[in-house]
Amino acid sequence: MLIYILKRLLIAVPLIFGVLTLTFFITRLAPGDPAAFFIQPGISPNVAEQIRAQYGLNDPVPVQYVKWLANVLQGDFGRSFSRAQQPVFDVIAQALPITVTIAGLTLVANFTIGILVGIISAVRQNSFLDRFLTVTFLFFYSMPEFWFALMMIILFALKFPFFPASGLNEIGAEGFGPVEFVLDRLWHLVLPLTVLSINGAAGIARYVRGSMLEVIRQDYIRTARAKGLPEKVVIFKHALRNALLPVITLMGSSLPFIFSGALFIEVIFAFPGMGRVTVDAIFSRDYPLIIASTFVAGSLVVLGNLFADVLYAVADPRIKL
Amino acid sequence: MSDIRRKRVSAMCRLVASLMLALLALSSCNRHHGSQGLAVKGRGAMDSTLVIAMLGDADYLNPVLGSTVTSGNIIGLIYPSLLQSEFDTTTGLMNYMALEKKLREVTPGQGKKDPKGALAKSWKMSDDQRTITYILRSDAFWNDGKRVVSGDFKFSYQLYGSPVIASARQQYLAELIGADRGKVDFDRAILTPDDTTLVFRFYKPVPEHLALYHTSLTPLPAHQWKNVKPDEFRHSPLNLQPLGAGPYKLKSWQQQQEIVLASSRSSNLPKPGTIPLITFRVVPDYTVRLAQLQTGAVDVVESIKPEDFTRLLKANRQIEIKTVGLRVYDYVGWSNIDQNEYHKSGKVRSHPLFGSARVRLALTQAIDREAIIDGYLKEYGVICNTDISPSLKWACNERLVPHPFDPARATALLRAEGWLPGPDGILQKQGRKFSFVLYTNAGNARRNYASVIIQQNLRSIGIDCKLDVQEPNVFFESLRQRKLDAWLAGWSIGLEIDPLDVWGSDLDKSRFNFTGYQNPRIDALCELAKQKMEPTGARAYWLEYQEILHRDQPITFLYWMKETQGFSRRIEGEELNISGTFYNIDDWRLRPSANVAL
Repeated sequence: MLIYILKRLLIAVPLIFGVLTLTFFITRLAPGDPAAFFIQPGISPNVAEQIRAQYGLNDPVPVQYVKWLANVLQGDFGRSFSRAQQPVFDVIAQALPITVTIAGLTLVANFTIGILVGIISAVRQNSFLDRFLTVTFLFFYSMPEFWFALMMIILFALKFPFFPASGLNEIGAEGFGPVEFVLDRLWHLVLPLTVLSINGAAGIARYVRGSMLEVIRQDYIRTARAKGLPEKVVIFKHALRNALLPVITLMGSSLPFIFSGALFIEVIFAFPGMGRVTVDAIFSRDYPLIIASTFVAGSLVVLGNLFADVLYAVADPRIKL
Repeated sequence: MSDIRRKRVSAMCRLVASLMLALLALSSCNRHHGSQGLAVKGRGAMDSTLVIAMLGDADYLNPVLGSTVTSGNIIGLIYPSLLQSEFDTTTGLMNYMALEKKLREVTPGQGKKDPKGALAKSWKMSDDQRTITYILRSDAFWNDGKRVVSGDFKFSYQLYGSPVIASARQQYLAELIGADRGKVDFDRAILTPDDTTLVFRFYKPVPEHLALYHTSLTPLPAHQWKNVKPDEFRHSPLNLQPLGAGPYKLKSWQQQQEIVLASSRSSNLPKPGTIPLITFRVVPDYTVRLAQLQTGAVDVVESIKPEDFTRLLKANRQIEIKTVGLRVYDYVGWSNIDQNEYHKSGKVRSHPLFGSARVRLALTQAIDREAIIDGYLKEYGVICNTDISPSLKWACNERLVPHPFDPARATALLRAEGWLPGPDGILQKQGRKFSFVLYTNAGNARRNYASVIIQQNLRSIGIDCKLDVQEPNVFFESLRQRKLDAWLAGWSIGLEIDPLDVWGSDLDKSRFNFTGYQNPRIDALCELAKQKMEPTGARAYWLEYQEILHRDQPITFLYWMKETQGFSRRIEGEELNISGTFYNIDDWRLRPSANVAL
């Protein structure tokens, strides 16, 4: 398995490199100018030129590419154009903890709720409960996240002001003790986590339900029941283990989400996470930051897939890597 | 359940719980940024904290580099300024004040700005208008206790002028000695004979108000920055620790989240801020900013849309909407020249659709500007005739009568120009249909609304106008490269009139003349006005300038918009001014929250 993992990692290097090269050329060829902000009445025309010279944008694109390549090979992804010329990985390092927190908590909630609802729906197939859960979860699943988030804010921050509408902490939270501070943060995370979890859990529940239905019709489940095993053991020990195999793929593909962020939620709830970093970088044509975000996201897609494949092999002895 | 299984389950639960705690700790670990200061707790913190919602974060808290509106607002509170300035609403003129001198006496009822915040005691303009000498006060100190001296200004101007640093304010140095030859000669242009004397020398006579405006750039403390090389200036760590002398100092800056300023107890420029803490919170989403204003989580939200006023005021009586203006207008741009021909051969030829002033006048008369105002802006919009704002009373030509909405007259004008209805009802001339695309930028509800009305108005007189909404960067790039035939955009005007960049006939120099309009008389009037040493002396030129624009209609001026800001009523003492929402923020006071009934 180790050799398999090493092989996959080696193949990933040219793949990620190809993605970065493509991103480099697409961003350079797209209309727009990182110095456009400095082109306005009252600002000397020299300023935009000086800014472009500083960013190395006056060279022909192939020359820019060679210079960029030389820097990247030395691990230098450059400095952000739009965020006070901070090194791009510093910008990412500031945004990552926030994104990882939200996404990590969301994933835990997603999978817990999703798997539970999926099992109930499958075991009680075609019952009122199954139909109720299916319709309810499909309702939330098909709801646009940003709209759902705004409705939650209107309901629970405006009409019934139980939770704050945005931000990570209360005004003056820097004076709180550690426990108060964490509680205050949790209080701020309730609405965004609810939006993200309900939306995500709905999808997982559908997967688990489908997979469970397939598994509980298998002969070995009938055998287990025939042996006189209690229903709980049949479902949780025999059926669930096998039904969770497709869910493992979902876990792997969720890895990029943990690090790349949930854009709408970050904008609406004013969280400075990775989603906002990436989209702000795109709108301000911050080339180094776009490429660094792509690098993080691309690497995680590759790692996520690898992680899912390895988990498959671990969970299912029939799969050999 | 067997013991082993129970243990496994409890271990799993512990793992998940510790994972969640670890994640929370991870996101909380960067909470102690910046200096430690006044510690305030919970809801009570709001009593001593003014919270302002911002669309985006500051780019720099360094006056040489800061270029966003947020940066400007915060820099104004942290750093000292040479002069205090104020917009006189009765005349529309800017006034500049030192401790013991004013540029002009103000009308009674105006002049509320306290000049005590100025670093200059007085100034003297030389008779030949080529030298301005400031006498600085000797009792002004940076937050580290060092005195603010004239050398700080000379040092800072060298930074502003450095091509490596590329400050957006280089234009302010355009009249200093040497600038006419491409490089300011700082040794001759700025003299500091002693710590309290500061002399600026120009290569040409400069009107006094312009000299004051251009020489009052915010200084940096030379002793803090002197060892920073120009190529390291933009990413120096000192940018995160601004050392100022104004009424507030930086308490903490969590990037993309919030900036907290604390009243600077030692400041005498003019005094420590009345409100102990001011928090600028980044809230990118407009609906959430409104929700926070409504719940009292923030105290100030800028640029509230007129359609939200009624609901907001009904929902919370502790909110008031204040307006200020007029500085911003929207317009429909018509390419006056054939852009393709100009790009290919450099020759200027009339645009086949919009080249004639009569056609452009017809288009203006075909657009129901009142309907757009009534439908969207309501009392917060005013018909726009030219780009000189009615707020600049000394220069505005009030005799101009707006072109009325008159589709019949528009049709007659177009017929006189040879545009006649074709078989499909669309106007045609020599086989060419009157059909074009009107571009605008994405994400602006007001312009979307206006563009739909314009499309309907034009369709009713036989003009086929298609709409296209572009991503803002793409839209601006297309405008800059003069690729568009017709577009809907807007300008925010400066308080000093200088329109040559927008209307100058030299299309290479006039970067913002997107229409390609050329009129030598406009060029001449702008130059003549610049030569006047007192702005009011140029009034006659500006009146004629407006008559020409009104006649030629190089663009269709649509409407001026009042800027609308939402305030919590717990703020007292705020005065809005056209020069900025936060112009007297150091005088604002907060009523304690106990008195605020939501």
